[in-house]
Amino acid sequence: MRPMKEEIPPEFKAELERLVDELPFNEEIPRRSGNVAFNHPWEIRAFSITTAMHHDGAFDWSEFQGELIRSVQAWESSHDTTADWNYYDRWMEALERLLNDRGMLDLDELDRRTAEVLSTPANSHHQHAVREPVNVVPSGAKGKEGP
Amino acid sequence: MTTPNPVAGTFPRTDEEIAARVKAMEAILVEKDLIASDAIDYMSSVFENELGPQNGAKVTARAWVDADFKERLLADATAACLELGIGGIQGEEMIVFENTETVHNIVVCTLCSCYPWPTLGLPPNWYKYPAYRSRTVRDPRGVMAEFGFDPGPDVEVKVWDSSAELRYWILPRRPAGTEGWSEEELATIVTRDSLLGLTDVAVPE
Repeated sequence: MRPMKEEIPPEFKAELERLVDELPFNEEIPRRSGNVAFNHPWEIRAFSITTAMHHDGAFDWSEFQGELIRSVQAWESSHDTTADWNYYDRWMEALERLLNDRGMLDLDELDRRTAEVLSTPANSHHQHAVREPVNVVPSGAKGKEGP
Repeated sequence: MTTPNPVAGTFPRTDEEIAARVKAMEAILVEKDLIASDAIDYMSSVFENELGPQNGAKVTARAWVDADFKERLLADATAACLELGIGGIQGEEMIVFENTETVHNIVVCTLCSCYPWPTLGLPPNWYKYPAYRSRTVRDPRGVMAEFGFDPGPDVEVKVWDSSAELRYWILPRRPAGTEGWSEEELATIVTRDSLLGLTDVAVPE
């Protein structure tokens, strides 16, 4: 069985931190206690798609850096407020363009699939509310009780 | 629903839309064999704790210091969380159970990985594993033991199945030795695992 608590080798985390340190405008990346932090689940997913594909050799980090610079500069030239700034919005835009340029992602297909996701209720196969406990192990029971 | 971004340019939009876009991108790349889901999961696991259960910790600390708030939380968790500005998609209907000296509650999603992420952040990878889902239902005490926790033989254990319609999380017991702590101090010791009912809250050495 796969262990529930996977230990991440420190050198692997250090490698990821090095990638982040090399990113443009990285002082804008949210951090908590010094660690890279995320405010929404999609942000860590976009981050992880990017680092995993780079790790697999799909593109050089410098290519992603270049796209991210273009994305941030384009945003800055069209906005005069920082109120709606989010580093990972720019990150996702850069990733889309990079993958599109490399022939790995078709943006029309991405638009279409995004619309499909939006029209499908989350976890549509698990909609029914379960209002009773699925198991109750009474006090005094030892070990493997239950249905 | 999220409010549309009033100054959005050519690029997204609401959090719901961009979340769907990231999900669609991942699905396309995985289907095309350009990357494996496992590889993305592994990358996520490096920083997943930084998405943090800080909202759930904040709510828990408030409930520990404010008995009226705790009563509202246990009566209607969705509304009580909104009082603290916490809600949004996947948080629509929530029920919070209180762990006590006699009852210990634990949360699982038996079919997929339904999870109250506005309060608890991103689900850990193991929450999605079939082994966690099935074993937690069958043998919750055994799973808790793997996380280093034993609620004691005199406690009844209840297992709750989160679904997309109704998501559960747990109000853990306030540990002894925290008398006089501020709400902010209390929030720092609440862990994600305790909000799922896998462990209790410990006071750091």
